[in-house]
Amino acid sequence: MIAVAIIVFREVLEASLIVSIVLAASKGVRGRGLWISAGIALGTLGACIVAGFAAEIAAAVAGMGQEVFNASILFAAVGMLGWHNVWMGRHGKEMAMEANALGRDVASGARPLYALALVVGIAVLREGSEVVLFLYGLAAAGGGGVVNMLGGGAIGLIGGAIVGSGLYLGLLRIPTRYLFSVTSWMILLLASGLASQGAAFLTQADMLPALGNDIWDTSWLLSEDSMLGRVLHILVGYVARPEGIQLVFWSATLIILLALMRWFSHAPPRAVARAAIILVLATLGFGFTRSAWADFTIHPPIVEYQEFEVEHNGSYTFDPNPANKHNETGTLELGYGFLPWWGSELEFAWSRTASDPPRRLDEVNFENTFQLADQGEYWLTPGVFAEIGKSARVGNADHVEVGPTLQKEWGETVHVLNLFFEHQFGPDNDAKNVDLNYAWQSLWTVSQHFQPGVEVFGDAGQLDQIPGIRDQELRAGPVTYGKVSFGQRLGELRYGVGYLFGLTHATEKGALKWNLEWEKVF
Amino acid sequence: MQARFAIGLAVLTVALAAAPAARAADPEFTLSIKDHRFEPAELQVPAGVKIRLIVKNLDATPSEFESNDLHREKVVSPGQQILVIVGPLDAGTYGFFDDFHQDTGQGKLIAK
Repeated sequence: MIAVAIIVFREVLEASLIVSIVLAASKGVRGRGLWISAGIALGTLGACIVAGFAAEIAAAVAGMGQEVFNASILFAAVGMLGWHNVWMGRHGKEMAMEANALGRDVASGARPLYALALVVGIAVLREGSEVVLFLYGLAAAGGGGVVNMLGGGAIGLIGGAIVGSGLYLGLLRIPTRYLFSVTSWMILLLASGLASQGAAFLTQADMLPALGNDIWDTSWLLSEDSMLGRVLHILVGYVARPEGIQLVFWSATLIILLALMRWFSHAPPRAVARAAIILVLATLGFGFTRSAWADFTIHPPIVEYQEFEVEHNGSYTFDPNPANKHNETGTLELGYGFLPWWGSELEFAWSRTASDPPRRLDEVNFENTFQLADQGEYWLTPGVFAEIGKSARVGNADHVEVGPTLQKEWGETVHVLNLFFEHQFGPDNDAKNVDLNYAWQSLWTVSQHFQPGVEVFGDAGQLDQIPGIRDQELRAGPVTYGKVSFGQRLGELRYGVGYLFGLTHATEKGALKWNLEWEKVF
Repeated sequence: MQARFAIGLAVLTVALAAAPAARAADPEFTLSIKDHRFEPAELQVPAGVKIRLIVKNLDATPSEFESNDLHREKVVSPGQQILVIVGPLDAGTYGFFDDFHQDTGQGKLIAK
């Protein structure tokens, strides 16, 4: 009976924690008890249906139906939670005032409730279907009798509900004026955790690359199977052995939801910007490895204030040497211009080499651009670029890269120079070296959609022992950029593509590079 | 306005190339669950390539194929089989178990 109780408890716990957070977040809203109970009831019914059709679901989508189903409902829950937070940010204050007025019907309060009811329903459905399947299996096998099964199931259910109630009551002790923002943060972290779970399912379905299988292993410190581990898994998305893609989805969800909440809320920009900075700095705790080479990106000394961007850069090399053939790099970046003179980007960089086929997450970089003067103020627009990167692979070093970046506009042309000094450090790195990387870009603005030009990327090697040019890396070639604007509301899409010819013995013969970026001012 | 939006969406779709899918040419292995045990309990697979694992449940009760090492978790209904795609794996040993019958359902995947 205990064995049954434990298994049922584990599943119920996850759902009950989510229900508690939702209940606390909707405290004071009229009719919420009804909506949330409806969510639980529908979720339970759904769980039975899903359990009944488990075989059919599993066989769908080329055998990956279970994964696709789970990922879909998880992302739906993320959407609902995100919408709730954004909606509450906009209407929270109004509702708190209206709720106190006698006889005033808080009709507007009903709107986020059905989103919350859906979230609850989804949580109950996901966990419930596993409980139903397990208990059904027991019953079919005649495992110890009905008493065993019902007793254990009841104990597990009650146990899970007790822990959930504990969290709920604990949250209720928070004074109402803070409760709203506390539950808002909890929902934000809950949503990020669910998104990372969804990503894991899509990886299982072979629809997303894992980007590294155990970015860290803290199961010695806090196992996900332990009580606290499970609770943290739900509350903040703690994973003892995360896949790289899970971290990408967790961070992306957090940053995107924060940005959306900022867009809709009346909160002062500073508060959300500060929160985003803290989040980004916390993300630096991830460990990642240094790739064989950086991606080929120019960093101009220009900051777009209050602009949010999602960017992907990639490259693909060609070389007669089979070890270098078809090496590929890629990045995903999320950036925001926090101040008129300071912008940051969080970058996830991965690569794949011919000798090491799986795509691996190499590093997570925190890039900063400081614009030191307005464009046109001086003869050159000066800036500083500073990046710190943490390596994700064993045996590779972390690094810091700093240096000036200069831009000159001349008629219809733009020219940028990057001169960066890179220092690698970390336990596996014994050399006290500083590397010099330089890059140059010249573009001619024919139109908004078409900017052809030239780019040069070089790596001179270690400063204290710069080798002859033959042994330095140097590549240059034609590039073209352009952008399409969809207006202030939808933002703009920027693309870039180019081909770089290797000019020295130490450089790969050729590299195709591309980038795609979406930006929007919030 | 619509034309620009359509172009942008097309560019975006092309750029978001489909994730690599395991092709039918990838090596396939079969695991059976009988009497709440895995057969074979130890399975040797090639390292560095994607692998298709077919897990067949020959029992009358549901089981859950789960592995922390492989990051996989999937329920198998009685009399049914599921597909689990893993890899490419580094050489080593990866444990898996039946979450619903942990006492008897234990196994190892050895990648070489």
